[in-house]
Amino acid sequence: MIGARRGGVAGRAYGLLLRPEASVIVVSVALVVYFEIANANFVTPANLQTLSQFVAAPVIIACGEIMLLICREIDLSVGQVFALAPFLMENINDVGVPEPLAIVAALAACALIGLVIALITIGLRVPSFITTLGMLFLITGLTLTISRGYPANTAGGPVLTGIMGEWAYSEILWALAIVALMHIVLRHTRWGLHTVAVGGNIVAAAEAGIAINRIKTANFVLTSTLGGFTGLLEAFRVGSIDPLAGGSNIMFLGVASGVIGGTAIAGGAGTIVGGLVGGIMLGILQDGFTLQGINAFTFDIVIGAAILIAMVANILLARLRGGGTR
Amino acid sequence: MSEAIRAEKLVKTFGHVVALNGVSLQVARGETLGILGDNGAGKSTLIKILTGYHQPDSGQVFVDGRPVQFASVDDARAHGIECVYQDLALVNGLSIYHNMFLNRELLWGGPLRLLNHREMRRRAAAALAEIGVAVPSVEAEVGALSGGQRQAIAVARAVMSNARILLLDEPLAAMGAREARLIIDLIERLKARGDIAIVMIAHNYAQTLEICDRVVLVQHGEITFESAAAATSAEQLLDIVRREYRAARTG
Repeated sequence: MIGARRGGVAGRAYGLLLRPEASVIVVSVALVVYFEIANANFVTPANLQTLSQFVAAPVIIACGEIMLLICREIDLSVGQVFALAPFLMENINDVGVPEPLAIVAALAACALIGLVIALITIGLRVPSFITTLGMLFLITGLTLTISRGYPANTAGGPVLTGIMGEWAYSEILWALAIVALMHIVLRHTRWGLHTVAVGGNIVAAAEAGIAINRIKTANFVLTSTLGGFTGLLEAFRVGSIDPLAGGSNIMFLGVASGVIGGTAIAGGAGTIVGGLVGGIMLGILQDGFTLQGINAFTFDIVIGAAILIAMVANILLARLRGGGTR
Repeated sequence: MSEAIRAEKLVKTFGHVVALNGVSLQVARGETLGILGDNGAGKSTLIKILTGYHQPDSGQVFVDGRPVQFASVDDARAHGIECVYQDLALVNGLSIYHNMFLNRELLWGGPLRLLNHREMRRRAAAALAEIGVAVPSVEAEVGALSGGQRQAIAVARAVMSNARILLLDEPLAAMGAREARLIIDLIERLKARGDIAIVMIAHNYAQTLEICDRVVLVQHGEITFESAAAATSAEQLLDIVRREYRAARTG
């Protein structure tokens, strides 16, 4: 997480270049140049807006998953919470609760899901991979039951809807604000530092007296809540809610953003900024290939291969740097 | 030299196994005591009682001459007892100063409770300089350091948290001669300060005799030999252990 800095400006620049974020930014710029040459419409206001919408959701999800990955856990069910949250909000709203309060209540319910995941994982010592795999199916069923399988329209006044995602750049602004906040949490609070310590050496963390279970629980609750919040943002942007929105696809994009940005799958290392640049790179790929008009069937092959290459490259890079991040 | 810690007639059993059978010892400030003995002799149990991890069945521990009962490790820490275990309890992915302040982080004032990295860096560097541990930078990741440097960081962390009684579990294990020299020098410097009592567990007779002022040999949960290091030779200690092996074979 924290690179060994050398003295002087040159040393610092060298250290920056070796960071995983740097290589991703270089590749991203190269991709932008390529797509701009291949298709003159890439760097236009309209497309940048589209691009920002590709980027926002995975990046917010990544903020939660990165915290979990760093402390050696994962949440596979975050995409299902993403789909559930808007239906919770609408149902609470339908009972007569004002929309802003309904949003808060829906988020509280998502936080509760995170708490349940934490209780099962920590209390029963089940790997979170298994816990959240079960939750993935359970929550899908819950969403389908609540919605009876039908999409619905989002309610709410124009101001609220605009703030919550309908205005062109509101979703990416939310994403950037959450990135900034989570960066501070990870680098400048005990919560963040202890998350790294728990993932890096759980015995050492325990001997130092760190409340390991509390750290993990906080990160599960955070991830579910952010997943639900992202679902709400998307619902307001699109104007309708779909019981099959998000899903494993958005979860995978979130995890991939983190890993591409240098978060270690084995825990103990990672940055929020890395998740942002990873998400931007994935967005550029998706958006660029969409503009290219690639066949929908081959699209997933290309994207899948690109993600795989990016993740493998970063794991190899980490090893080249001397195994500091394992 | 004033007495720092004293144990009297410590007994500890685990089921039918008698781990400690009436062990007594004392260490003064500025003194270094070496505890030698084979695996299973009771060295670890002894250390774990002194750190508050185990509670003795009978016997009494005194700190600064006053009787104490440690209910937990934190309890012993509150009395100035710090232990550096063999696994060192360091987080590789974190910087030196983060490790030195692990779970004792310094925060900026105010409701946000943000980490005060600057003050932690400053104090970590000062603490390392004070006991003469050289590192490239306190921002270096611990994972990038050598075994000796890592041991030194772990010792520095214990000293920084106001250890007055420092327990070292095999501080020279699996270390090359140059690395070991780093730690031996560090222990010498701590000893010279005069305010810290050091107890170290070790296997290597020659090294222990070189570092320590006094050594005790633990066998079958009892102290079978105690002497000033200067008046003891490694051969002498080996003889005692050899005799025991012979007795075990014939008996």
